[in-house]
Amino acid sequence: MRSETDRSLSAWAFLKGKNSGSKTSGRRGLNIWAWIIFIIGMIYFFLPLFSTFLFSLSMKKDQLSFEAYRLGFSDPDFWQNFGFSVMWAIITIIASLLLIVPTAYWVHWRMPRLRPVVEFVTLMPFVVPAVVLTFGLIRLYGSPPILLIGSPILLIAGYIVLSLPYMFRAVDTGLRAIDVRTLTEAALSLGAGWRIILFQVIFPNLRVAILSGVFLTFAIVMGEFTFASLLAWPAFGPYIELIGSQKPYVPQALSVVSFLLTWISIGIMQRIGRGAVQEVAGAH
Amino acid sequence: MTVVAKKTNNDGNVPLERPKTRKFSWDWLGVAPFFLFATLFLFLPSISIFIRSFQTRAGEFTFENIIALFTVSDIINAYKTSLTISLITAVGGALFGFMLAYAVVLGGLPGFLRAFLLTFSGVASNFAGVPLAFAFVATIGNAGLVTRTIESIFDINLRQMGWSIYNITGLSIVYMYFQFPLMVLIMAPALDGLRREWKEASENLGGTSWHYWRYVALPILLPTLLGTAILLFGNAFGAYATAYAFSGSFINLVTILIGAQIQGDVLYNPGLGNALALGMIVIMSLSMLGYTVLQRRAARWMR
Amino acid sequence: MSPRRKPAEITRREFLKLSALAGGATLLASCGGGGGAMSEEAMALLESGNAIPLEQLIELAQEEGQLTTIALPPDWANYGEIIETFKTKYNLKINELNPDAGSADELEAIRANKDSKGPQAPDVIDIGVGHTATAMADGLLAKYKNSNWETIPMKDPDGHWWAEYYGVLAFEVIKPDIPNTPTDWEDLLKPEYKGQVAMAGDVLKSNESVQTVMAAGLSRTGGDILKAPEAGLQFWKEMVDAGNFIPVIADAARIAARETPIAIQWDYLCLANRDNLAGNPELEVVVPQSGVIGGPYAGGISAYAPHPFAARLWWEYVMSDEGQNLYLKGYAHPIRFNDMVKRGVVPQAMLDKLPPAENYAKATFLTVEQLQVSNKYITENWRKVVYGE
Repeated sequence: MRSETDRSLSAWAFLKGKNSGSKTSGRRGLNIWAWIIFIIGMIYFFLPLFSTFLFSLSMKKDQLSFEAYRLGFSDPDFWQNFGFSVMWAIITIIASLLLIVPTAYWVHWRMPRLRPVVEFVTLMPFVVPAVVLTFGLIRLYGSPPILLIGSPILLIAGYIVLSLPYMFRAVDTGLRAIDVRTLTEAALSLGAGWRIILFQVIFPNLRVAILSGVFLTFAIVMGEFTFASLLAWPAFGPYIELIGSQKPYVPQALSVVSFLLTWISIGIMQRIGRGAVQEVAGAH
Repeated sequence: MTVVAKKTNNDGNVPLERPKTRKFSWDWLGVAPFFLFATLFLFLPSISIFIRSFQTRAGEFTFENIIALFTVSDIINAYKTSLTISLITAVGGALFGFMLAYAVVLGGLPGFLRAFLLTFSGVASNFAGVPLAFAFVATIGNAGLVTRTIESIFDINLRQMGWSIYNITGLSIVYMYFQFPLMVLIMAPALDGLRREWKEASENLGGTSWHYWRYVALPILLPTLLGTAILLFGNAFGAYATAYAFSGSFINLVTILIGAQIQGDVLYNPGLGNALALGMIVIMSLSMLGYTVLQRRAARWMR
Repeated sequence: MSPRRKPAEITRREFLKLSALAGGATLLASCGGGGGAMSEEAMALLESGNAIPLEQLIELAQEEGQLTTIALPPDWANYGEIIETFKTKYNLKINELNPDAGSADELEAIRANKDSKGPQAPDVIDIGVGHTATAMADGLLAKYKNSNWETIPMKDPDGHWWAEYYGVLAFEVIKPDIPNTPTDWEDLLKPEYKGQVAMAGDVLKSNESVQTVMAAGLSRTGGDILKAPEAGLQFWKEMVDAGNFIPVIADAARIAARETPIAIQWDYLCLANRDNLAGNPELEVVVPQSGVIGGPYAGGISAYAPHPFAARLWWEYVMSDEGQNLYLKGYAHPIRFNDMVKRGVVPQAMLDKLPPAENYAKATFLTVEQLQVSNKYITENWRKVVYGE
């Protein structure tokens, strides 16, 4: 069970499938069934979005207006909580990268047999219900001997755990796409030191892969609710919940905006991604 | 230490090999931070779940929580409902998701639609929980857009006719919103992996399209199909936010029950909540295991 | 082979040094800073549980500088204004935690922060009266009898908790969708309300919803508290069978979307909602003619409060005439309502904005024991009776 956002494994799978190109294995003639299926699919996906959008425009009685959007974005609490969550997200991303990238690299290069174990660990957040995990963490670390509850360390740790599968999957996919051993040993044999190997050979090739993991972690932290609210740190998730129970229309407006922003970001990532994959392919 | 024939380099000198044990320990250092983190923040809480499921509210050891899993009708029904809805959305999601993936990859649709569907599928994963539940309420709920439209076109009152989406069927429809994209995202690359040569070879041997699918493509795709279906199953089973936002505790699901026991204002038996979680972990682990095993089998063909 | 060392080859000594440093740093970080020392007389003041004279209290509170609250949404019983007024009046900062927390979450927050005096530890709480038993059993509450103690009708005799305000359950009716407004519980079973009635909370998690069942039961049994839980469950079973009940939590968004034309909620929430939505859609608030159940909320001070004096000042203010009138402004009946009306300190204008007083006069207030028993019965049997599972 994931966090409140029910971060489905779509995102996780999205990362897996990212580096596959679009080779078509034989186009058939115009297939009417394909069109029918596609259109049915689009209706199913877009009707709910449209209804939400329509609702978000209905704040003023009997007329369509962007009042909900105006109210939502002009609330100073919105920006404050948004800012806090952005900060948590950045810290989580950095800590997560520092934790995962060296580990994944190390496993790929030195201990490939450990990969299944590490992969299992990163799948654990899928298997353990988030509610239970968060409560477990609070009970374990809320009192001496290890008192972590007064600082955001526990919050960040929780976020890292939640985003672990995605970040690891992203980095792992990236490392698999580049031949780590060959690159490392080639660089070593050319006399490169470790700093150069890491920062000028490995990381540039991982940039795109890491980008998708970063993006998903960001989305997770911004949308996460349970942990932030239980630990009583200011964050965007609890804020949205609160607004939802007080001012209808505004959360719907916000979710429409966030949907659009996410779509645009993924679109941009796809474009960047296509370019970088070609670069790596060319290097060989 | 006995001297055994060793590899030599060109000089003919026997290179000094580092004793195996020492090299082993330094490699472990590289993964130590990760495992330390995992132990502190994943294993220990999970173990505490395990331990607490054997505790009463007062903290004494008991089997009553585990026994309750199999005897309390409420809990059995929760598992039944959760399993039912997971099965429905896994099968339904796999079928239609596969068809969607097929449509954009092999169906002769314009190429840009593939990218469109794939990026959209990536976004659809962000749209779950409260916004998703509300989106469907606003569409096919009692006062939803579609409901109102139908009512005005046919001049009927659907509410009076007993129309309601707040049941397993309705929730399944909502779940499909993240099941379909998941299937699409995994099947699209898999369909890519069907090499053109195989189709041509089949045709060369005189086979029709049906033969191709029956004897070549489906057998190759089957592990991925099944594996992803299992993944969808686990995905639906573990869903909490969407279900709760949709109908609160009124539809009896395991995840909802866990929430009520651990967080509730009125029910409050963390031992039972943890026991429920344990049961869920078992089911989720099995589904993850099934998925991983089948993925490896499928990977053989996708090289 | 390159003479430069690979990272794996750091010497054992360096490794040990690093880990000692890391370990030491973690230990230091986890040792929270100790609280400031308190004087003997201050401790004595707190221990006694008696009211502290106002000027002294203000001084001591201002030394502490801030108050940490939890679970006080601004739109709930006008807490927004209460908090703001308190801040300006006494020049204190207020750190508002988790406005969405439920009563159980509040108690959990106290438990989790027992040893930390950081900003995550609540000073004062506002919980459903039913939860006071757990709070007392777990020793989470401090004692304090504020200066208005005598006129509070519902409280713990030792001063661990006291009721602050109450509301009654009312029907929140969307006028455009409901031509005939229901006036009592039995009305809700009428076929014209098919698929239209919802509770405002989750029956397994929220006190409000459990009370909804109880209230329906009280209406049926004519006020017999012991038989009410069973009767209430029976009522809702009939609601489900008739198809009148929508198994959905009627939150503000759903009401605004007109998905739940009849929602059952605390009257102050209904009325606040009515004002909030400002006619979009138009709401009418109806207190049922029978089965009127009073839902008081209890206030208390955390036994581990980081700012004990600020906490006591808060209660002095909230339980004073001024504070209680602010509750009334948010449509919640202050617990000292009767006393205040007798003394004529309630502005007539406020009284006029409330629903008619006759229905409130019929309100039943359950004792803590009754609440516990009935809550347990209802949550354990909900699914069995209502859904036949």
